[in-house]
Parts: sequence; C-alpha cells; structure tokens
Amino acid sequence: MNRAGSSEAARTVSSVLTEMEAPDSFFRHAWNELRKRKLASFAVCVLLVLYTLGIFAPLVATHDYSETNLAKTEAAPDSENWLGTDRLGRDIFSRVVWGIQTTIILTVITILTASVFLGLALGMAAGYLRGAVDIITMRTGEVVAVVPDFLLVLIIAATVRPRIKEFGYWIEDNTPISGVISSGAVDYIVLGLAFLPLSWFGAMRLIRGQTLAIRDAPYVDAARSMGVGTPTILIRHILPNVITPLIVSVSFGMGAVALGEVIASFFGIGVQPPRPSLGVMIGDVTARTGSAAVETLRSHPEQLLSPIVVVWLMIFCWNILGDALNDILNPRAR
Amino acid sequence: MKFVPQLLIAGVVIAVMFVVGCSSEEPTATPVPPTATAVPQPPTATPAPEPTSASSSSVAPTATAIAEATAAAVAEATTAAEETATAVMKEAEEEDIEFDPRRGGVFRLLGTDPTTLDPALTTDSTSYDIVLKIFGGLMRLTDDPNNPIVPDLAESFTVSQDGTVYRFKLRENLVFSDGSPVTAFDFKWSWERAALPETGSTVVKEFLGDIVGVNDIIEGNATSAEGITVIDDNTLEVQIDGPKPYFIAKLTYPVTFVVSQDNIEAGGETWTDDPVGTGPFILKDYEIGVSMVLARNDNYWDTSAFLDEVHFNLAGGSAMAMYENDEIHVSGIPASAYERVTDPNEPLSQDVVDVPPEFFTFYIGFNVGQEPFDDVHFRRALNYAVDKEIIAEAVLNNRVRPAYGPIPPGFIGFNPGLEGLRFDLDKAQEELAMSKYADPESRPRIILTTSGTGGSPPVWLQAVADMWDRNLGVQIEFQEVEWATFLQEVDNYRLQSFSLAWSPDYPDPHTFVDVLFRSDSTINQTQYSNAEVDALLDEATTEPDPARRVQLYQEAEQIIVDEAAWVPMWWGTEGKILVKQNVNNFRISPLGSFTLKDVWLDKEIDF
Amino acid sequence: MLIYTSRRLLWTPVLLIVAGLFIFSLGSVAPGDPAELMAGQRADPEAVERIRERLGLNDPFLVQYTRYIANALKGDFGESYRYRGRDVWELLGPKLRVSLELNLVSYVVTLAIGLPLGFWAAMRQGTWKDPTMTTIMLLIYALPVFFTAPFLILVFALWLDWIPVSGWSGMFSTRAILPAITIGLPGAFVFMRYMRASTLDVLGQEYVRTAHGKGMGHMTVNRRHIARNALLPIITILGFSLAGLFGGSLIVELIYGIPGVSRLALEAVFQRDYPVLTALTLLGAGMLAVANLVADIMYSVIDPRIRLRS
Repeated sequence: MNRAGSSEAARTVSSVLTEMEAPDSFFRHAWNELRKRKLASFAVCVLLVLYTLGIFAPLVATHDYSETNLAKTEAAPDSENWLGTDRLGRDIFSRVVWGIQTTIILTVITILTASVFLGLALGMAAGYLRGAVDIITMRTGEVVAVVPDFLLVLIIAATVRPRIKEFGYWIEDNTPISGVISSGAVDYIVLGLAFLPLSWFGAMRLIRGQTLAIRDAPYVDAARSMGVGTPTILIRHILPNVITPLIVSVSFGMGAVALGEVIASFFGIGVQPPRPSLGVMIGDVTARTGSAAVETLRSHPEQLLSPIVVVWLMIFCWNILGDALNDILNPRAR
Repeated sequence: MKFVPQLLIAGVVIAVMFVVGCSSEEPTATPVPPTATAVPQPPTATPAPEPTSASSSSVAPTATAIAEATAAAVAEATTAAEETATAVMKEAEEEDIEFDPRRGGVFRLLGTDPTTLDPALTTDSTSYDIVLKIFGGLMRLTDDPNNPIVPDLAESFTVSQDGTVYRFKLRENLVFSDGSPVTAFDFKWSWERAALPETGSTVVKEFLGDIVGVNDIIEGNATSAEGITVIDDNTLEVQIDGPKPYFIAKLTYPVTFVVSQDNIEAGGETWTDDPVGTGPFILKDYEIGVSMVLARNDNYWDTSAFLDEVHFNLAGGSAMAMYENDEIHVSGIPASAYERVTDPNEPLSQDVVDVPPEFFTFYIGFNVGQEPFDDVHFRRALNYAVDKEIIAEAVLNNRVRPAYGPIPPGFIGFNPGLEGLRFDLDKAQEELAMSKYADPESRPRIILTTSGTGGSPPVWLQAVADMWDRNLGVQIEFQEVEWATFLQEVDNYRLQSFSLAWSPDYPDPHTFVDVLFRSDSTINQTQYSNAEVDALLDEATTEPDPARRVQLYQEAEQIIVDEAAWVPMWWGTEGKILVKQNVNNFRISPLGSFTLKDVWLDKEIDF
Repeated sequence: MLIYTSRRLLWTPVLLIVAGLFIFSLGSVAPGDPAELMAGQRADPEAVERIRERLGLNDPFLVQYTRYIANALKGDFGESYRYRGRDVWELLGPKLRVSLELNLVSYVVTLAIGLPLGFWAAMRQGTWKDPTMTTIMLLIYALPVFFTAPFLILVFALWLDWIPVSGWSGMFSTRAILPAITIGLPGAFVFMRYMRASTLDVLGQEYVRTAHGKGMGHMTVNRRHIARNALLPIITILGFSLAGLFGGSLIVELIYGIPGVSRLALEAVFQRDYPVLTALTLLGAGMLAVANLVADIMYSVIDPRIRLRS
C-alpha cells in the first residue's frame, strides 16, 4: 500500500481499499450511515416488504392468480379479496404479488447479465487492456446508445420472441425438461434481451472509467512489475475498486427495469398471460391503447391503482436508496 | 369476406375503435322525444321517418320482387314461376320525409385508419365503411330485414329464365363526384380492372368470379370478360356460369363498385388520395393516423347528404372522455363504464341508444387437420365444457348472445330449432373419455391463436380456457399474432386453433355455411370436410325454391354443429352506444356498417 | 480541438449507418414475410412474388440495405409496406413534427419548473424545505404516466371541464397543456437536481463570498452571480437531454390521442413495416447524434479540460 502515492485517484482508492480489506466494517459502516437517513431507511423497509411479498408469492397469495370467479367480477375490496377482483373475478392482490415476483425475476436476470456480468467484464477489459477491445466495445455501445430506446425495446421484443418460443418448444419436445413455456421463461429471456442493449453500456462505461483511473495507480504498477498475471490483477486489485459505483448504478437500474417491464407488457410485447405481471395488469385495464385508462380510473380505480402503486413505490424507493448509497459509498462523486 | 378483428367485443371496449364495433339495426335512432323538444322547427311527430330504411309498408311489393330475385326472403316468396323478376325500385325517400331536417353541420367520430380506399382491395370492415361512403355499386344493402338488397346505381334489373343472364338498367344521368357521366362501360371497366392480377384484389374471385370470363382475367389469360356486355350507355348485361340466386347479393360488395377510369389512370398507385366515386360523400382530406374529412357529394344521384362534413379523428385517445367532453358525437361504451353510463341517475344515460343485433358470429375454430382436433369426440368435449351463458353475463355484461351455430338470429336461414352443443359437464367428460386423447399424456400441446398485438387474449377467451382446464383438465396456451399475419396463417391452415369472428358479406346463408365449411371453399379455415355437407351445399347453391334452400342450409348447419369444427361463441345482441342528443338518424346496419347520408344535426355544438 | 471535432463529425454518419443496419437486419430475423402481408388476405403466390420483385426483397440483404441508405441520402426513405404506394417520409413527416412540438413544450415545462425549484432548494440547504421539496419531486418523478395521464384528463378535462381531452392543434393551444404537464413535470426532478447541485457548487466558491463581503445585498448576490454561474454547466446538459426527448412521449401520445409518431411506430413494429422503422431509427438516431455532438463541442468550449481526455 503506497500511501505516499501522489495521484489523487490513488489516495481515494487506497482509502476505499483499506475499508474493503475488512468487509465487515465496510458494510457495517455503510449500514450505519444508511440507518441515519430516515428516508433511505424507509425506502429499504418498503423494498424489503415488496420483495418479500414477491419472493414468497406462492405462500402470500390468497388465491391462484389465474383462477376465475365469474360469480364475483369487478368486486370492490373486501375481506376475501383484499384488493378486489378483476373482470374475470381473479383476485387482484394475488395477481399483484405474483406480478412483483415477475418483476423480481426480470430485474435479477437483466441486472445480472447486463450490468454485473457484461458491464463488469467488458468495462474492466476495456479499461485495463485498452486498445482494440476498448475501441470495439465503446463504438458498439455508442451505436446502440444512439438508437431511440423505445424503438429498440419494441423491435427486439417483437422480432425475437417467436424464435425464442420455438426454441422453448424444441426443448420441451426433445428433452425431458417440461414447463419451459408455462414458466414464463420465454418472456424473461425476451425482455432480458430487449433491455440488454439499454443497460449494459451505462454500467460498462462507468466501470471502464473507474478502471482507467486506477490502472496506473502505483500499487497496480507494483503488482504488474512483480509479474502478477492480468487476470489476477483484475480480480484482486481492480474489481474491489469498481464494485461500489456498480452498486450505486444497479440500485438506480432496479427501478428502471421495473418500469421497463410495465411499458413493454403494456404494449403486449412483455410478459404474456397466464403469467401475471404489473404491466399486464395495467395493460388489461387500459385497453392497451390507453383508451380505457380514464374510464377505469373512474369506475374501478383499484384495478388500475393496485399495480401502479407498486411500480411507483419501487421506482421511488430505489431512487432514494441509490441516492443514499451514492452519498455513502462515493462521497467524492457528489 | 369480412373477418372482424377480435377487438370488437373481445377486449375491453365494444365499440371504442369505431362506431362500427357496436351493434345495430332498424328501430335504432328513431328520433328520440328529447330531441324533438330541443329543436325549434323540425318534427311534427317524428314517426320514424328514416329515409333509407325504406321501412314499413310503403315499398312492400317491390321488396317481394327483390326477395324473389335473390331467393333470399323465406316466407313471402311466392311461387318461383318468375320468367323475369323485374324489380323496379323507387326509393321511398322523398315522400317519407315529413319534416325538414337541418342541412349542414360537421359530424365527428373516432375512427381508425382504413387499410385501403380502393374498392377492389377492400376486405376489412374499417375500409368497407369508408369505401361505402365514397363509392357505390349496382346494388346496396339496407337495414330492413324484409328487403335487404335494393338497387343503388341500377334503376332496375331483369333475370333471364334460366337464371344466368342479368340485365341492369342504370339510372338516368348518373355522374361521378367530379361530374363526369357514369355509363355501363364504366362498370365493365371497373369489374375487369378489379379482376386484373396487377390490381391485386384478393376477393374478386369470390364476388365476380361467377361471371363468364372473369376467371380468365384473374388468371392473367385475358383482359376482357365476354360475360360482361355493354348494351348501351345505360344498360349492362352480365352472364354468370350457372343459376346462382345469391349473385345479386354479391353486387353490394365494394369490389363490384364502379370506379372512374380517368381517376385511376391519372392517379397511379395513390389514386385513392383523391378518389372519384358515386357515393354520398367525397374524400376531402386524409392524413394517415391524424384525421379524415368526408364532405357531401353534391353530384350524388339521390338527395344528397345533410351533413356538410364528417370528421374522423384517427389519432385515438380516450373515447368516453372525448364523448363526455363534446369532442365526438358517437361513442361505444367501454365495459368498465357500462354500469356507470346505464345508471338512470347519470345524465349520460339519456344519450344511450339501443342498437339491435349486428350479424356476426364469434367462434373458436379447430383445425381438424391437426391433432388433437382430428378427433370429433375431443372437439365435442371442448364444446360441452364451455358455459357461455355465464361468461356472457358475468364478463361481457350480456352484450353478446351465446351462439350455438354459425348463422346468427335474425339472419336469413337462422334455425331456432338448431340443436347446439350446450354446456353439459357429464357429456363433456363422456366425450373426452371416448376420444383418443382421454389420457393427458397422449395430448399434443394445444395452442390457441388470437389476432392482435395486445398481449392478453380477450377476457372471455381466458374464461373459456379456465373452464376447459377446470372441467376437463385440458390446458391450452395462447398466442397472439398481428391481424394481417393471423389471416395468412389461418388461411394456410398453419394454426391449430384460433379465435375469430365472421360477419356476413351479403344477406344469404351461403355467406356463412357454404363459404366457411364446404370442403373446397378457399375460406374453409378449419379444413372441415364432410361429403354429406358438400352435397347439401351443392344442392342449395342452385336450388330455386327459397324455402327449400334455407332448409338445405339448415340441414348442413346441423351436421356441422354436431361435428364441432367450431365452438360457436357469440352472436350479436342488442347493444348500446352513446349518441349525442342533437344527432338524428344515426344508424348502424346489422351487417355492421353505418350510414351517414341521412344523419343530420339539430344544432351545432361547436367542438 | 479541430481534430477532435472533425473526428466526431466523421464518425457520426458511420454511427447512423451501423445503427440503421442493426434495425434493418432485425427484419430478417423476424417471422412473416412483408410481401405476404402487403398482398393482403388470400393473395396468390404470384401476387406476392410480384410485390417481392417490386420491393427488391429478393436481393441479398446487404444490397437491399445499401440501396436503402443510398436512397435515404437523397431524402427517399422508401415505400411503406403497410400503406401501399405511400412514401415513408410523407407518412412520418407530419407526425414527427407533432411529436417534436409536444416534446418541446414538455421540455419548456420541465425547465420552467425544474431550474427555479433546484435553485430554490439549494438556497435552503440545511432547512427542512430542501429535502421535502426534493422528495416531493421524486415522488412525482416516480409516478408512472399510466396514472398521471388519465388522472389529469379526469380532473381537468372532465370534472373541471377546462381543457379538451385529446388531439393536437399546435404547441400553443390549450390541448397541449395536459400532455406537456404529464411529460414535463416528472422530468423537472432531474433538472431540479442538476440545478441544485450546480448552485451548491457555486455557493461554495470563493468569489461569491467575496461579493457578499463587498457589501452587496443578499438578493443581488443571488441574482447576479449564483444563478448565472449555476446555469452555465446546465447549458451543456441541455443539449444531451434535448436529444433524449424523442422517445419520451410514447404512452402519453396514445392516451391523449395525439397524432405523433408513437402510434405509427407501434403499428410499424407489429406490422413489420421495416422502411418506416428504419427511417424512424435513422431520424431518431440522427437527432441524438447531432445533439450529442453539439453538446460535446459546447462542453469542450466551456470546459477546456475535456480536450485532454480525448
């Protein structure tokens, strides 16, 4: 640890590093800081509740999400159906809970592949190796970034789905694995692919920048001159330093993916029934072109508001959390 | 040839897309009392004076004549001893109007973009509706069930004894909207043009293919049809390839309409930007996805329309909200608003207008050429397992009627005695046990395809799927395919099962039973084939006795229903739409189209 | 500087061409045959073949794309698959204008609310007002348009009856008010944050304190120095965010029935109208690229340090 290093970057880096070396105290520090912020603590609680509901949907849901009850359609909330029922008499609460699960699965897939995996790998590679790798990834990213977001998502989701679905059928027909389609896996893959171009570049650029800043830090230099291999340097020295900005960017991304699902499903290219999702629920009661939105809000507000409030809370809380984490983890970046 | 996109009942809105989505027919918008009070001059007593629906008694004799010619009407068709059934048709319009409707005003509607404005290419209901305003043909449909087809540009026609030669006499001094004369030659040119392969009409074979020589043009072997003869400027003779009583009915379809040769040759591929026709309106302005403006055609052969202009808003939006905010004159009622709007305490309920049943049949089609629908027992089991009554009531607010066969009530040939496969759990399980797919393991994957881009299939379909699952343990998957692709797939038998609606093209059972179920019909999407049915249909095609014809169709229908190539789902029923109180005579025909010619506005609410 | 700018200038067209290629190539992945779709119901194979021939769909993929780009350079974006015989530009042009207008008004709303609020909040840093206002704006920012759009219609068009429900008649008509608020208000949060941070930066700087020390009144300090200096860095952000405007109005256009590009884009996606889609992509990407370029150059003029980076 060369504390005499003159570069400003190295100084922060090493200070962060000391904290990283004792992860326990590092996270405790972050946690303590977080707890001091009332709003952030509130956001964490709300998110915990929502995500617990979603993860344990099979246990929490009071009804089967696709079970219709034609004797009780469009009912107002009561003790049996906590948030009322929809046009087919399905329990809105149960559908919301399952919808949250859909969102969770989707965010995990997207964030894992795009931000964490692709973003980290490419960002570190581009930042550390520079040269051709850097040029190719950056230029590709620029091309994708320049295409209007909504067009990109719509086009990819609409064109890729049939192929993915065929593949799902093929798996079901030719392997012992079954239930590929009904599990909604196709939707997750399609949406994951659609969101991929939007999300990887941001994370990658962030990590590349961070990597660039420390690749020439004295201690990295030292490691290199000692003959430590590139992979080792990347994992031992670079990775711990790029993690914190990644955490911040991921927490901002979580809300965005939730909204992305809603928009894609609203247009009918996201999650497909019978699997419920927040976007499907919103789309169903707004007639997809939005033409029935006003009427539903007026006549059966609970049908529209139930999924919307969940999305709203998710986006709000993740933003609050992201802000707080940014303050705590990157004090300089403010 | 009009498949109706699912949107209609299907989703959330019956009629938001267009007024078309609603349902409709005769007693409709009989000027309502409140209107009368609101207006200073007009109605004396307002006794259902609709000009078009040459309603009630006044035209009865001619009605019968037409009925004979078309062999359509059942009962009152006298002996078929017709040498030449001459139909002289004087429109009852002038004498029927007992007050002075106000001329002028702008009528505003929410609409969607038509796929085409070329009559020869028109196949969908949206285009059909607009084309009918701008163009016209020899015959037209009315909303009078006793007199469904009347001459339009033709003044009269005669049929030869053997039923194969039609001679049409055109009205005197007919002109296009640009003032140029319409002659028999224009019809010959229009029809031959429609048949040319370059035109690309996909329906010309069905509607004009009966005419001698037209098929040669369609196949590219000729450019002129010997079956179409211009006798003089005002007389057209048409020879068809056999006695086909429903031929005259086909002449109400856009592909048979008259178009202007100058217009098309000058306009090139985009001639429909500035179309010249013979309808009551002309296209004044059209901006795709934004708006369409129709203006009165002052060269119309009959009394011209009352409205100055009709504005279609094509940009979409919230129909109900727009209606309540006085931005459109007519709106469907979305399912979610139904309760609120029909509540007597709600001022809006004053605007609710009943529209009698539109003719359409929603159904789930099974491709009998594919597993597991090759087994009649399996198909019957699925039929028995669906409780349509409760879906209609709980999910669709009773805005449809459960259907048990292809031909809807009120349509010629409807069979009240038809034995449908009504909901019966025991029978359903029995049939399933008899089928070769009784064991779930032996069942292939079942995919039900719907048209649309919405993601979710219509709610009622989800309810059906849930019933199959719960009552029979049969699980299905849904797939949504965009409308145009959907039709391609259906037509090429690539879909295993699908949900679709059919609305008749002309008032004859032929348009339901023959077109959809005869083995060699091009629109037999289920690949259903039954020699007995084919024989019955063949016999019916040329059967001169209308009553006997209907009977043959009904026999065929019963067999088809028993063999369950469909799950018939819904027929139209009395519907409700919202019409502003200052609108008079707005009606929607049971064939799903609405007329604008006779609409007039009391006073202009300027919006 | 010159080298940097010219390099960016040269890169931009390449960027667009590659982006267009990306969308164009997705067309070949998608199922369904545009010619079949164009031919309509029950078309015979020959008719389909004729259409394929006319559109050049039988040519190799790259030939098709090259031809497309060559024509696009001449301002000809091809013929729509869905609307026969219709020039894509003719379809897109008017709708693009509406969408741009809508987004521009919304942008004005965003700035008009966001910037003063950000300044206001920064000046109250340390009091309860600052975090409260930030939280309120974040709450609005997080609210999905699926709620705001119908809610505003319900309140202002139906209950209060102040404003028409739908349609578009230019950016200065009453019809523009609700959609502009629906899009603009949530965005205000972002600018409020920028402005707040920027103002705090300026506040922290020495010369403000000096000016203060010289005895100018508190208000004068606010106006003269802080606001102006705080706005300076924001100007560069304006360029970037202006470019992002293009896609912001998709759902809002649908709910308010505004004849912008969104409906057309959706239709084009579902009906595989690739000429329209590619044109939309190229135009959208073009605007984005140009805006980025301008912002970049502006940025490097204002902040010379940027030049070192490249």
